[in-house]
Amino acid sequence: MFYLLFVLFAGTLVYLSIAERFRSYAKLIAVQGFLLFAIALIELKTVNLASLIFVLAETLIFKAIVVPHFLFRIINQTKVYRVHPKAFPAFYSLLFTMAGLFMSIILSNMLKNPSLDAVFLTIALFTLFTGVLLIITHRRIFSHMVGFLVVENAVFFFSLAVGSEMPMLINIGILLDIFVSVLIIGVLMNRIGTQFSDLESDNLTSLKH
Amino acid sequence: MIAVYFISAFLIAMTMLIVRRLLLTRWLMLLFVLIQWFFNGYVLLHAGQTELSYFTYDPAGVLFLGLLTLISTAAVIQGFPYFVSQLNKRFSYYYAALTGLIAAMTGAYMANDITLVWILVEATTLTASVLIYSERTLHALEATWKYIFICSVGIALAYMGILFLSLSMKGTGLHDLSFAGLTSVAHRLDPIYLKIAFLFVLTGYSTKMELFPMHTVGIDANSVALPPVGALISTGLVNLGFLSIFRVYKALSDSPIFVWMNKVLILAGVLSVLVAAGYMLKAKHTKRMLAYSTLENMGLVAIAIGIGGIGYYAAFLLLVLHALTKSSLFFQVGQMGRVLGTYKLDDSGLYLKLFPTGAIALLIGMLAILAIPPSGLFVSEYLILKALVAGKSWFVLILVLILLCCVIYALSTRVLHLLFSHPRENAGIHTQGTVGRWETISQFIFLMVVVGACFYQPPFLKDIINQIIAGLPNY
Repeated sequence: MFYLLFVLFAGTLVYLSIAERFRSYAKLIAVQGFLLFAIALIELKTVNLASLIFVLAETLIFKAIVVPHFLFRIINQTKVYRVHPKAFPAFYSLLFTMAGLFMSIILSNMLKNPSLDAVFLTIALFTLFTGVLLIITHRRIFSHMVGFLVVENAVFFFSLAVGSEMPMLINIGILLDIFVSVLIIGVLMNRIGTQFSDLESDNLTSLKH
Repeated sequence: MIAVYFISAFLIAMTMLIVRRLLLTRWLMLLFVLIQWFFNGYVLLHAGQTELSYFTYDPAGVLFLGLLTLISTAAVIQGFPYFVSQLNKRFSYYYAALTGLIAAMTGAYMANDITLVWILVEATTLTASVLIYSERTLHALEATWKYIFICSVGIALAYMGILFLSLSMKGTGLHDLSFAGLTSVAHRLDPIYLKIAFLFVLTGYSTKMELFPMHTVGIDANSVALPPVGALISTGLVNLGFLSIFRVYKALSDSPIFVWMNKVLILAGVLSVLVAAGYMLKAKHTKRMLAYSTLENMGLVAIAIGIGGIGYYAAFLLLVLHALTKSSLFFQVGQMGRVLGTYKLDDSGLYLKLFPTGAIALLIGMLAILAIPPSGLFVSEYLILKALVAGKSWFVLILVLILLCCVIYALSTRVLHLLFSHPRENAGIHTQGTVGRWETISQFIFLMVVVGACFYQPPFLKDIINQIIAGLPNY
């Protein structure tokens, strides 16, 4: 069951790399939230009840419901539905994502640690890679924000790895997640979305030399 | 006492946001500055003491807090002319965020735990972004978005570094992430985990230190923010970024990755100086030019730490003197902007004729930041070059010397154009505003200290730097 969840999570990452509609992004972020909820429920058996409730509430309420809701609101508000026409082609993006998965497997084997599951580490590194790839290769700010949310999920994976020994780190990671997501989504919705309706990063290049 | 300090800062910031009266806000800001001085004095008297388990008044914290107190006092006063109307309610956000930024930086300097440093650094992102957006223009929006987004990515990467550190500490029996705890077990930790952790920490905090590879965020922020804010970002926040990296570096100095960390720092430093020199030759905006100068100086600091030996002392001396010089330059460029009505180099000129006192401060500031004697920065840069010679790093030495020549050429030609030449694109320049001569007092005081450091470095400064770097290998 545990590994099935990981495989499903990796599947969402691959789908994210080839998706061309922002609604698909928002749905995938919601699915990732539910999967993280299930993974946290299985992984964090040894932490105290308060920490567990905090983690589960964060994944289920914040990651799976609140954040996707705001993503849909931004899409409806800006009426920008697709990735930039000149975006990195999906085929190449898929190739890079696969290369990222391969590199993550190699790296997690290099970082073998008796107290850490190699599959866990592989997925965490793959999530980080996919998030960074989304930020680097896409031209619309919405994609950048989704990329950042994926990086946040990678951070959450890593914090789960040390969760049973240092539960404080998970809580801090969650606070980071909430705080930064709210800040970034808030700025995007209230300021950038109203000033630059097409959400293209090319609009944000006036600060040069 | 630190709890009282934080509560005071919080209450003052909240009052500013609620009351929204310009005169009262100014008085509250001055009250906060007074509290900052009082807390600074308390820290000096209780050096070495730990409070609330997570804050230790160690020499590095004391040194940077002293600098922050000095510069923030001047920044607060220099900021008054930018908000003169009660009608514009932005001032309350500005002063509340300024209070929050100074308080967060103060806490982060004193924090003895990696996670707490990280939380407070995150708090600086929030407060600094409010300050960057204070002019509410499209440029400000762009810079703020980039600042929030890139800093958030950086801060997430730094957090990954902390998680890798904690992963490597599994099995050591240590359940906290204090710098002292990390130091005690560093030699037993897995080098691969430590290397990844250090890379993440360096990359993450490079957003704050304005060091390659994530320096761009600071450059954009400085070019848009009001000059007093630019002064704080380029000094207090840059020093905080450095300190966050240095504390991890020092904690891991007893580990097998020490030599590798030095190589990484030298590489980051050389690339920073390279990028700074390249962009300074193309700079067309005065505040942006100063921001690239910060990148260049932070590159030199990274090289100095990486090379070790006398480089450690040189790095801290450079940080102290850079903070005083760069804040003076930002204040002065701010006044120049008020006189000329622009920060664009092509539209600026004849500053010596329009405001001679400010022009002299700008000229001295330029000589000081370029480390031309009698600037105190000359001593620190001379020591860095000496350390490179002692370490037989000939390639780095030659490359840095060539790049420094480019920096000197780029900065001096631009500042001399500002002072003496007619504007390139707008020959009929008109004075846009007036600046009182008294407003240059802080710049002259800071620059006098920098010049004085060329001839005499007070024993307390030498002692405190030596205490900070004591225990490092190669020292």
